[in-house]
Amino acid sequence: MSELTPALLWLIPGAPLIASLFIALFGKVLLRGRSHIPCVAALAVSTIVAVFLNVMFLASPGSLKPDSTLLSMTEVVAQHDGDAGSTHQGDAHAVAKPQLAAPGFEWSITDNLAVRVDVQVDAMTALMLLTVTFVSFLVSIYASGYMHGDPGYPRFFAAFALFVFSMSMLVLAKNYLTLFMFWEAVGLCSYLLIGFWFQRPNAAAAARKAFVVNRVGDFGFIMGIFLIWKTFGTVDFAEVFAKIPGVAEKDPSVITTICLLLFVGAMGKSAQFPLHVWLPDAMEGPTPVSALIHAATMVTAGVYLVARSTPLFMYAPTAQMVVSGIGATTALLAALTALTQYDLKRVLAYSTVSQLGFMFMALGAAGVSEKLAAFAVTAAMFHLFTHAFFKALLFLGAGSVMHAMGDVIDMRRFSGLRHVMPHTRITFLIGSLALAGCPLLAGFWSKDEILVALFEGTRAGGHETFFTVILAVAVVTAFLTAFYTFRAYNMTFLGEERFPEEAHHPHESPPVMTGPLYVLAAFSVLIGLLLGPTGVYAHALGQSPVLEHGDHPHSWMLMGLSCVIFASAFGLARWMYVVAPGVPLQLESKLRPLHRLSLGKFFLDELFTYLIIKPVKIVALLCTLFDKYLIDGLLDLIGSIPATLGRLVRPIQNGFVLNYAWVMLLGFVVFLIQMLRAWAG
Amino acid sequence: MFQHLTNAISLILPEVVLLAAAVVNFAVGPFLVSESGQAPNGLRHRWGIWSLLALGIAGWLWLAPVPVAEASHLAPFQSDALVWFVRMVTLVTGTVLVLINWNQTADRDSAESHACLLLILAGANLIALANDLVVLFLALELVSIPTYVFLYVARRDASGQEATLKYFLLSVFSSALVLYGFSFLYGAAGTTNLTAIHRTLAANELQPMPAMLLVSITTIVAGLAFRVTAVPFHFYAPDVFQGTANSAAALLSVVPKVAGIVALVRVLGQPSVEAAIHAGYWNIAAKSGGMIYLLAIATMFVGNLLALLQKNLRRLLAYSSIAHAGYMLVGLSIAVSVPAIGDDGLAISTTHVGGLPALLFYLAVYGVTTLGVFALIASLSTGERPLETTDDLAGLSKTHPAGAFLATVLLFGLTGLPPTVGFLGKLTLFFASWNHGTDFGRRLAMCLAINAAIAAWYYLRLIGVMYLQPSRDDTRRTAGTPAFVGVSLCAATSLAVFFSPDWLWQALQRIGS
Repeated sequence: MSELTPALLWLIPGAPLIASLFIALFGKVLLRGRSHIPCVAALAVSTIVAVFLNVMFLASPGSLKPDSTLLSMTEVVAQHDGDAGSTHQGDAHAVAKPQLAAPGFEWSITDNLAVRVDVQVDAMTALMLLTVTFVSFLVSIYASGYMHGDPGYPRFFAAFALFVFSMSMLVLAKNYLTLFMFWEAVGLCSYLLIGFWFQRPNAAAAARKAFVVNRVGDFGFIMGIFLIWKTFGTVDFAEVFAKIPGVAEKDPSVITTICLLLFVGAMGKSAQFPLHVWLPDAMEGPTPVSALIHAATMVTAGVYLVARSTPLFMYAPTAQMVVSGIGATTALLAALTALTQYDLKRVLAYSTVSQLGFMFMALGAAGVSEKLAAFAVTAAMFHLFTHAFFKALLFLGAGSVMHAMGDVIDMRRFSGLRHVMPHTRITFLIGSLALAGCPLLAGFWSKDEILVALFEGTRAGGHETFFTVILAVAVVTAFLTAFYTFRAYNMTFLGEERFPEEAHHPHESPPVMTGPLYVLAAFSVLIGLLLGPTGVYAHALGQSPVLEHGDHPHSWMLMGLSCVIFASAFGLARWMYVVAPGVPLQLESKLRPLHRLSLGKFFLDELFTYLIIKPVKIVALLCTLFDKYLIDGLLDLIGSIPATLGRLVRPIQNGFVLNYAWVMLLGFVVFLIQMLRAWAG
Repeated sequence: MFQHLTNAISLILPEVVLLAAAVVNFAVGPFLVSESGQAPNGLRHRWGIWSLLALGIAGWLWLAPVPVAEASHLAPFQSDALVWFVRMVTLVTGTVLVLINWNQTADRDSAESHACLLLILAGANLIALANDLVVLFLALELVSIPTYVFLYVARRDASGQEATLKYFLLSVFSSALVLYGFSFLYGAAGTTNLTAIHRTLAANELQPMPAMLLVSITTIVAGLAFRVTAVPFHFYAPDVFQGTANSAAALLSVVPKVAGIVALVRVLGQPSVEAAIHAGYWNIAAKSGGMIYLLAIATMFVGNLLALLQKNLRRLLAYSSIAHAGYMLVGLSIAVSVPAIGDDGLAISTTHVGGLPALLFYLAVYGVTTLGVFALIASLSTGERPLETTDDLAGLSKTHPAGAFLATVLLFGLTGLPPTVGFLGKLTLFFASWNHGTDFGRRLAMCLAINAAIAAWYYLRLIGVMYLQPSRDDTRRTAGTPAFVGVSLCAATSLAVFFSPDWLWQALQRIGS
């Protein structure tokens, strides 16, 4: 079986790609309302392969012996050859880490013009693939119900499948360049899907905003890749990581610069302050898209990038602190904003931004000490993993509500949906509990690990004060998370029953939509308990060559604190929005400036408009004038030369054979004279 | 001697198949048509299938391992990687031409029309196989003479007759030039065998060159420049393309170019360093470089500038084919010139992109792409709704979306934009000339780039017309099936080869090395 595996690997991105092309070509003519079938089938195939891959990785690393030519196993850990300045004790526990590489596609015409696209799987990729394929599989089933009857039905699934292809290629990439290529590809799919209803000005503007803001991040990312290429002479992950100690000895600052540039890319894609402004607007896209791309998968690409580059970040403690600091800022600001939003999807969007901030906080904590690195990265990746499930669940639940309420998503206009939508309500409740960090559910375990990682940072590593602040922010944010989650839940499902007039027949969504909700709910309940405290996830991720073995700290105290935070926030939200519904309004009038600050999203959009967009527009206007009158005039002048010359030559072409023959003869004679003159000297 | 001849037959099996099929057409064809010229309906389908069958068998023989035949000073044929390549090109273009020709000829003429096509393809192959001036000339005529008939059969109205006659007269003139040049070459070398000629010339390379050889080169290049439609030997092309049928224009845009370029490659041979350094030394390749350089620049500029003014589609494509001939001549002039030599006596070229592989790659790329465009016009043109002028293309994205899409792919290819193979064609030509290391190469590279930019204007304008201009008649067009299959084939090839070009590129590296 293991000989087959490398070829199977191509199935994961291949199946959705084929489905996408098939739908794009035949969707409009042949498939129409059945356009979801190829997509769902392809994602089922990818999911099965991804599950198989993970089982194989988890079962026994020894099973991946380099016994076939297609299979390669590398010992990356053993590459730190303990040189004088290195603080690694390295070699002692050098074990073989399983990696699977499939021979790739090479595009080349000459030796110096060759591009290789290889795919490679290690434990981190395998787990990402599992998340991506499984969640997208469920969302695609849901979408077949949600998007039913939309005129763009085939287009939706073509873009959807293309996204899954790009996202799996992103995590399968073997080098930074391929990663960047598919990083852009997922950005493109995101653009296409946010602007899916491009007739709506809001959707078109949101798509554009997402694209432009991401450009800022991508600029940093590509500069980072250039610098990697310049410094290391390669962009291949393994080769770069192997060369780090040597480079670090000569010039440690260059690694910090690289890390910061890469992190700028991650900030764009993963919506970190101040580049997070595009994500809430992206909710203009269809809800399944928000669930899959803007909550579960694409926005976590930045986290994946930083986690994948752990060996680089290990040599850049400053960059690590920036990562943590930005993560904390984002988490807190987004959580504060989420407190007062009335749009259910926007609450969830800010929540996503905030949770991504949590992940970056943990990634930054990897810089505390060598021993903590693996634990901190694992905490971030584990939170990414659990978050994908419960956030997708919450978004799909919100979509179900929208579906029933005639596309109204303003929580002031409906309430008390618990009787009309029992299935949506129960699954949404489970998702809320998981997000809020209710003990035993998924979010509780992953958030706890992040808190522990930050707590370790307050005890050692030389930046104790810094991490104390970060930890405090994390605790406050955790409280806010639980509060706004239950605010949204209470406003939507509890209280008196009210519907907007757009909802003609408020009804529960069809089974094709509630089915995926239940599956995701089951996972949101179980994966935390089954994979977190048992250490299964940590063990699985530990197989990745970018992570080294380290401590697994644990803290009963923080776990208790988490419980208290959850209980108090839950209670407060229940008191404010169920028991005493007048309180929020009183509070609002008393804290009017603060409320307006939160409701207005800290006026970052306005700030950007005045600080960046307006000045740029003025410069653009000046450039336009310059371009229109000076450059265009010059170009028109140059452009008229070819046509004028053409008119000059034209008369020779007069249709007479004899003329043609004469000119041919003349041409021949001229050439003969020229040749003979050259010969004569 | 006789052994050489018997061996020779085994070298040309695919061509024997094509010729035999054509003979069957000529022999059987007349009996299927009545005295009064009435043919059973659908006869053209049978002959079309027959042609495809012949090409299929030839292709099967092509796939079989090529018997290696060292070019000898006695043998009439040679078999090397160039032959393999030319056969591939003629098989592919031949298949598309059969598909274009399918519905272009009347039932009663189809036997002759297809027979001519097969003869022309066999002739093109024989040009590559020829190892003798006499065989080479015969092969060139095997391309030319059936072409006259093909042109006449394809379209018999007044403009068709005018076009045929123009082509005939000027083509005969150019053939005469070629033959004249060959006779000089024979006079200088004392033999008609190409291998022997090149050996003789190489042996005399250290001697001052006689003027007779120069006259010979100039005459041969001028004569073959007609086939390639190089300026100033191009005048027939716009008139003939416009006046004749789509299938004939398609044929003229590709096969004579293959014939001319391959014949030039065979006759001119390889450049030698000494001959380049010292004026007057016996190396015809290096000596022809200057003339081909001038031809290339004139051809690129005239083709592109005049294409800017055209409204008639086939006339525009004629100028486009002239411009592309200019790009090919860039490759040829690089191929026959000595690259910049460093102090160590080795070429300082920084890449491994040679002129000859780049030229041949471009030839194949251009053939597939331009045939696709002709196939599209042939497929969508009907008596009452012709595609004659650029205005007829207006609104094609509404009236035939698939056709408009394929046309866009093909026009991207002609412009030289990714993700089509046209991009790689221009890129390799540019690399080959830029990295030649000489001022001459860099000048060619710059002219190539300027011309590619000019050309983009008229190709992209066609896409604009198809997608942005409203159509006068919004009813859907119907596409003729065989030609449309040809279009799809060309567009698919142009995309597929872009994504995996290395097999072709690697194969081309073997040629001439």
